[in-house]
Amino acid sequence: MFEFEFMRNALAVSLIIAVLCPCIGVFLVLRRYSMIGDTLSHASLAGIALSLSVGGTPLAGAFVFTALCGALIEYLRSHIKNADLALSVVLALCVGAAVTIISRGGLNVSVEGLMFGSMLTVTRGDTLLALALCAASVLTLILLYDKMLFVAYDEEAAQIAGVRVKAFNYVFMVLTAAAISVAIRVVGVLVLSSMLALPVAAALQLGRGFKVTLVFSVIFSVIDILAGLILSYNLNVAPGGLTALVSVAVLLLVILAKNANKAMKRGKRI
Amino acid sequence: MIVANQLTFSYTDSPPYALQNLDLHIAAGEYVSVVGDNGSGKSTLMRLILGLLKPTRGTVGTSAKRIGYVPQRSDYARHDFPLTVGEMLRSYARIIGADAKRETADALALTGMQAHERSLVGGLSGGESQKTRVARALIGSPELLIFDEPSTGIDRASQDEIYGLLRQINRERGITIISVEHNLTAAMANSTLIYHLHGGHGHICTPEQYAKEFLRV
Repeated sequence: MFEFEFMRNALAVSLIIAVLCPCIGVFLVLRRYSMIGDTLSHASLAGIALSLSVGGTPLAGAFVFTALCGALIEYLRSHIKNADLALSVVLALCVGAAVTIISRGGLNVSVEGLMFGSMLTVTRGDTLLALALCAASVLTLILLYDKMLFVAYDEEAAQIAGVRVKAFNYVFMVLTAAAISVAIRVVGVLVLSSMLALPVAAALQLGRGFKVTLVFSVIFSVIDILAGLILSYNLNVAPGGLTALVSVAVLLLVILAKNANKAMKRGKRI
Repeated sequence: MIVANQLTFSYTDSPPYALQNLDLHIAAGEYVSVVGDNGSGKSTLMRLILGLLKPTRGTVGTSAKRIGYVPQRSDYARHDFPLTVGEMLRSYARIIGADAKRETADALALTGMQAHERSLVGGLSGGESQKTRVARALIGSPELLIFDEPSTGIDRASQDEIYGLLRQINRERGITIISVEHNLTAAMANSTLIYHLHGGHGHICTPEQYAKEFLRV
């Protein structure tokens, strides 16, 4: 299957997503922001539609518009003091913009491909841009690792330690926007938030420290995305749906293995 | 170490005021317990000293270059967070620019938490959690330590250990301590000064004066 260029591009972008999404997702899940993925994936859809309507590059349009929407969420969250409401407002803006632009017609893009994910739409240019965004995001994460960790764990303590939490939250939104814009072409709008949350949920079941949880989030994410990609090629279905199903299956397997391990330990004690 | 002049604060920038025209001077090396009824402004005063809130009128400032803070235990219900005690302390040390390895080892030794370096913070008992927070506050050699109800939610034996540790830090290292207290017995036994807040106004005195004036002993 990898004799085709589109599959090689899809594989490359999938591996990039598999590394980037859990690195951002672990902080989103721990800050109880999982649903932000859903709102920003719709922002990404609106960004692609907007960019195509003015003859721009889909990935660049998705990144810029998603980053702006991420900043808007942060601005609204700090002003109306209600994260759920901030997400609802931005979701309405993004869905409204996307539906309006797409329903006008004339865009050379498959809406189904954007909603469910598609391997055929990933070009070599997309792959290189995704690689650049991923490298920049991972480098930022490495440089800001301790601050990211502490803002997620205890925002007030981070502030007392000298972290400029507000500015930091905006940087984090840009990183989230980068991950979502990269992932949307392969996994699609509808299941993107599961790519941010499910591998992390599986890794959290291991009950280990932060670094181990982060490493296992990436390992589970690689398994989910590669299995989703290969199965979708062989079954001739959209990769997004299968990736989400594999993610749920992996999470259930990890929970079962954890419970079996607990039962065995209890049995040994008796 | 801490100076407040006509310090006034309202959460709405208008009356009612949580704190009104407070004048306060705390010298280095003191152990001050801040006491008063619920809603008297104790935690608000701590947040103003920490710079987390800005005064509505007046000023408050500290000469301490580094402040360690141990918040109320209820603020820390993060049992689901995958973080070991060692990871938390080293991360905090790196953020404030301290030597992560050495400072973490020292803080764990002082609080008797060496055996828990690899334990998850969410799996610790109440007393162990509090000692971990004290260990974090000690990183970076602070000149001022601020506690918000250090004995809330922990058993008697752990309370004794925590107060023993606070006295030791205060006397042997000369670190100034300000502690919001509901535990009057602990406040009387440990502090060099008591700051009594009532109706947004404050009054500072020794534990002996406090016993005479407010407890009628």
